[in-house]
Amino acid sequence: MLGPSIKLAWQLFHQEKYANHQVLLRWTQGVLLVFMVTLSLTSSNIQYFLERNLQSLLGADVVVSHSQKLTLNQIKELNSWAKKIVWTRQLKAMITRDEQWQQISLKAVGNDYPLQGELRYSQQLDVEGEARTVSFPNGIPRLGEIWLEPRLMKALNVHVGEDIELGERAFKVSSILLHEPDRLLEAHNVDMRAMINAEDLSSLQFPDEVIQHRYLIAANNSNIQNILDWQAVNLPAARIHHKGSGHPLALFWKRVENFVGLTSIILFFMAAIGIQQLSHVHVRKDQLFTALCMSMTASKLPGAVISWFKWFFGFAWSLPGVLLFSTALHWLIVKWLRDTFTDIEWFWDVTQLYTPIAILAVVFMLFYSRVWLSFINCSAAQLLREAPLKSQQWISQLMILVGLTMVAFFYSDNHTLTFMVVIALAFCVVTMIVVSWGSLYVLERITRRMSGLIPFSLYMMRQRIVSKSTQMLGVGLSCFLLLFTLMLLKDFGASMSHYTRQHDGNVLVTQATPAQMDAIQQWAGQKDISLRQHKPYVYAQLLEVNSIALAKFISNPSESAATLSRPIRLHWSDTIPGNNRVVTGQWWQPDTRHWQQISVEQEVMTDLKLHLGDTLYFQIGPDRAAFRIVASHEYQAGNGSITFWMQVPPAALAHLNAARYSMASMELAEPHWAELSQLWRQHPSLRMVTLKDLMRRYDNVLGMVTTVVSGFSLIISLLAAIVIVATVKSCEARDRSRNSVILSFGLSRLTCFRLTIIEWFFTATIAACGAISGTYLAGMLIYHSQFSLAYSPDFLWLAATLCIVLLLVTALGLMASKQSLNNSIRQLMAEN
Amino acid sequence: MNSQIQLINVSQQFSDQGATVHLFSNLNLVIQQGRSYAITGPSGSGKSSLLMIMAGLEQPHAGRLSYFTSNTIAPLDSLRRSTGFVFQQFHLLPELSALHNVALPLKLRGDKYAEEKAEVWLAKVGLANRMNHKPTTLSGGEQQRVALARALVFEPKYIFADEPTGNLDANSAHDVADLLFSCCEEQNAALVVVTHCQKLARRAQRVFNLEFGHCGVQRDDARRGALC
Repeated sequence: MLGPSIKLAWQLFHQEKYANHQVLLRWTQGVLLVFMVTLSLTSSNIQYFLERNLQSLLGADVVVSHSQKLTLNQIKELNSWAKKIVWTRQLKAMITRDEQWQQISLKAVGNDYPLQGELRYSQQLDVEGEARTVSFPNGIPRLGEIWLEPRLMKALNVHVGEDIELGERAFKVSSILLHEPDRLLEAHNVDMRAMINAEDLSSLQFPDEVIQHRYLIAANNSNIQNILDWQAVNLPAARIHHKGSGHPLALFWKRVENFVGLTSIILFFMAAIGIQQLSHVHVRKDQLFTALCMSMTASKLPGAVISWFKWFFGFAWSLPGVLLFSTALHWLIVKWLRDTFTDIEWFWDVTQLYTPIAILAVVFMLFYSRVWLSFINCSAAQLLREAPLKSQQWISQLMILVGLTMVAFFYSDNHTLTFMVVIALAFCVVTMIVVSWGSLYVLERITRRMSGLIPFSLYMMRQRIVSKSTQMLGVGLSCFLLLFTLMLLKDFGASMSHYTRQHDGNVLVTQATPAQMDAIQQWAGQKDISLRQHKPYVYAQLLEVNSIALAKFISNPSESAATLSRPIRLHWSDTIPGNNRVVTGQWWQPDTRHWQQISVEQEVMTDLKLHLGDTLYFQIGPDRAAFRIVASHEYQAGNGSITFWMQVPPAALAHLNAARYSMASMELAEPHWAELSQLWRQHPSLRMVTLKDLMRRYDNVLGMVTTVVSGFSLIISLLAAIVIVATVKSCEARDRSRNSVILSFGLSRLTCFRLTIIEWFFTATIAACGAISGTYLAGMLIYHSQFSLAYSPDFLWLAATLCIVLLLVTALGLMASKQSLNNSIRQLMAEN
Repeated sequence: MNSQIQLINVSQQFSDQGATVHLFSNLNLVIQQGRSYAITGPSGSGKSSLLMIMAGLEQPHAGRLSYFTSNTIAPLDSLRRSTGFVFQQFHLLPELSALHNVALPLKLRGDKYAEEKAEVWLAKVGLANRMNHKPTTLSGGEQQRVALARALVFEPKYIFADEPTGNLDANSAHDVADLLFSCCEEQNAALVVVTHCQKLARRAQRVFNLEFGHCGVQRDDARRGALC
C-alpha cells in the first residue's frame, strides 16, 4: 500500500520539481535551513573550542578569585584538599613612559608560578613588530623588571632593555610576555597585559581594595568537589573556575546564539507567510489529484500520503545544497571569528545537523499543514469545488502559531527581548491589518460610484481582502525587518560620532579611591578643568535572592545575569538621580533611616524575574547585607551618562564597611592629555577610560555588528523577495484570468499593466505604513534596553528609505507579475 | 455606416517539437457588422486561431487582416476596442457580483453610469433578480447570461463567442443562444460563433466549415457563392 504511493509521489515530485510553486517552496525552506544549520554548526564549533580552551588555559585544576586576600585559616583549609596552591595578584594600573600612558592589566607572580602549563616569553620583536617565535619557557620577572605583551610594547614604543614607569617607580622591560597558562580567566578582556615579580608589588603601595587575589590550585577530582562545597559556604563572594565548569565565554556565546535564534522568529514568520501563500497553489493541485484518485475509487489516504511524501522529497531534495552552502558559510564565519576566539579551528560535526533539521522539518510541516488539512475531511465533490472548510483554515493558522511558538521556545532566553520583539511584530501586523482593511473599506466606499482604474483596483482589492492583506503582511514584515536593521546599523554608526559631541567629557574616571579623587580634583582645579559628573559607589557582590543562591536563582543566561556574577557598583543617593526615573515602586524619602532599601534597574528586574519586595543579599567588603527591593528605575537621557543598576539610601553607608570609590567624567583640552601622566605616576591604580579607547572599543563592536547585520539583511532581502514572489504566485491564476478577461473587453495590455502598478503601489504603501510604525515601536522598545542607544527617529531618513522600499516593492511586484501580464485571450479559450 | 473585417489570403501555422503544423492557408473572409457567422470543424482544425486572427489578437503567418469602417481602412487598435468575447467557461470574476461583473468593462472605460447600464443589461438577459449574486451561486446558464451581458454592455461592433453553449444543458443552451443572437442583432453587432454544435451553427446567417486546412461555406442566408 505504502510502496506504490511512495513511488507515485516520487514520480509526481520529479514531474513538478521545477514548477514555480515547488521551486519557491524549496527556496523558502532552504534559506531558513541554511540559516539555522550554519548557526548550529558554528555554535558547535565554538562550544568545542571553548571546552578545549578551558582544559588548556585554566592553568590549574581549580582557580579561586577574590577581592580579598584569604586568611591563613582559609589557606590551611584549602591546603587540606589541594596538592599545591599558587597565589597571584592582579590589578588594573596605568603605566607611563615620558608623556605616554597606557592602562594595563598587571599580574604579580612569585617563583612558584605557573602552577600548570608554560609561561612563555621572548626578548626580541621581529621587523614587523611581532614577537619572535624563539621563546623561553617558565621563569618569572626578576625584581625591578617588568614583562610587557607585544601590543603594549608597540603602543608605548618601548624596547627590551628600556625603562617604563609604574607609579613613581621605574621598571626595566626585560622580556616580551607571550603566553600565560592561566590566560583563560581574562575571558574576553582586551586589556593589555604586563607582569612583575610579586615582591615588587608591595613596594608599589597599591590600595588593597584594587587588588584581585587569585589562587591557582592543583587538586584531584574528589577534592575539587570539596573545594567547591567549601567555597560555597565560606567564600560565597569569591568566583571559582574549575575544569568541569563552563568556559567564561560559553555563556556569552550562548547569549549571542540565542539572540540570533530569537530574532530569526521574524524570519520564520515571513517564511510562514510565504509558505501559506504558496500553499494556495499546492492545495489546488493536491486537491485535484486526490479528487481524481477518489473518482477512481481510491480512498483519501493515498492522496494524503502522496502529498506528504511529495513535500518530504522536496525537503530532502534541498538538503545537499543546504549542507554545501551552510558549510561554506560556517567556514567563513569561523575564519571571521578568529579575531574574537584566537586559535579556533574549523571542523564539521555531522551530529549538529540532526536537531536543526528535525526542528525545521516539524516547523515546516506545521506551516504546510494547510495543504493536508484542506482535503483530509472533504468529499470528492468538495475537493473538486476547491472549498476548504473554514475550521480547517483556523486549524492551519493555529499550526503556524504552534510552529512559531516552538521556535521562540527553543531559542528565547531573554524574556524582555522576546516580549519586545513579539510586541513590535504584533503591532506591525495589527497596524497593517487595520490599515489595509480600514483604508480599502473607506476608499472603496468613497469611490464606489466612480469609474476608472483606481476605483476598480480598490474594489478588486477589497473583494480579495484576505489574500491581499496576507500579501501586505508578507511585504510589510519584510520591509519592517529591513528598515529596522538598516536603521540600527545607521544609528550605531551615528552613536559613535555622537560620543565625540557629548558634553559628558572625553575622559571617564571609572574607579577612583577618595585619595585619588582628591588628587583628580586638585589636578583639575590647577588646570582649570571642570568635573562634569561625580558619583560615589562601593563594590557589592550579589550572593542570594530571597535566600536562594544566585547561581540557583538564575535560570537563563542573560546580560544581566552575566554581569551580576561579578561584583557590581552600588550607588547611594537620597533623591532620584537626574538621569533616572522610577518605573515601579517608590523611591525612599530623603534622610530615611530605613537603610535596607534598594532600587534596581528595570531590565535587571525583568531579566532576573525580580519583584518589588524581594530581598537581595550582598557581600559588601567583609560584610553581608540584605536589601529589600522597593523600586525599579531606568535610564533617561540628559543629565549625564553615569547610571547604576543598584542604588540604596545614603543611610546604608553607616552599616557598610567597604572601600568607597567614585566615577566621574571630565573634558580635557589637547595640552592636558600629556599632563595626565603626572596623575598616573602618583596614582597608577586610578582607572580612567579615554574617549579614544571607548571609540576603539565601539569601532570593534560596530565592525562586528555591521557584518552580522549585513548578513542578516541579506537573508531578510532574500526571504522578502521570495515572499513577494510567493504572494504573486498564489494569486497568479486569478490575476491571469482577470487580465485576460480585461483584454476580452477590447482593452489593451497597458490597462492591465496600470492596474497591476496601482495594486502594487497600494500594497507597498500599506506595507510601508505597517513597517514604519513597527520600526518606530521596535526602536522605542528595543533601542535603549538592548543596545543602550537613545532612540530619536530621523523621519526624513525613514521617509527616504520608505520611498526606496515603495519603488523596490512595486518594481519587484511588477516583475513577479510578468507572467500574469503576458496572458492572452487564447488561454481563456484553451481552458474550455 | 457598418464596418467590416477582411481576411485576405490568410495562412496560419505553428511549430510543435520541431515540426511545422499547418492549420489553414489562403483564407479569404469578410465579417460584416450586424451579421452572424458560425465556424465549425473538428478539434484542432484551427477554429480558435481563426477567431483570434479575426479579432486582431494574433498575427497570421501569411496574408493580411484589414478593418474597414466608413469605407476606409482603420487601425487594428480600433478593432480591438470594438470587440467583445463570450467563452465556454464564462470566466466571470468570482469575487464580483453579477452586477459588478457586467459593469466591469464600463468602469474600466471610466463610464460614470456603469452600474445603471449593467442593471439594464442584466434585466435584458432575465437576471434582474440575481444582480447581487456571486457567480458561484448562479447556475451555468445564468453565468453565461451574465457573461453575455458583460460582453455586450459596452456596445462592441463584434462579438466573438467560443463554444458559448458548450457547457450548458439543452434548455439553457437554447435560451442562451436565443439571447446571444437576438442581442447581437439588436445591437447591430457582428456575431462570430465557434462551435461543434450544428444546431447552434445553423442559427448563424453564414456558416464556415474549417477542415483539412480549408474553409468551406456550408450555408449563406444572404447570398449564394463562397468567398473562400
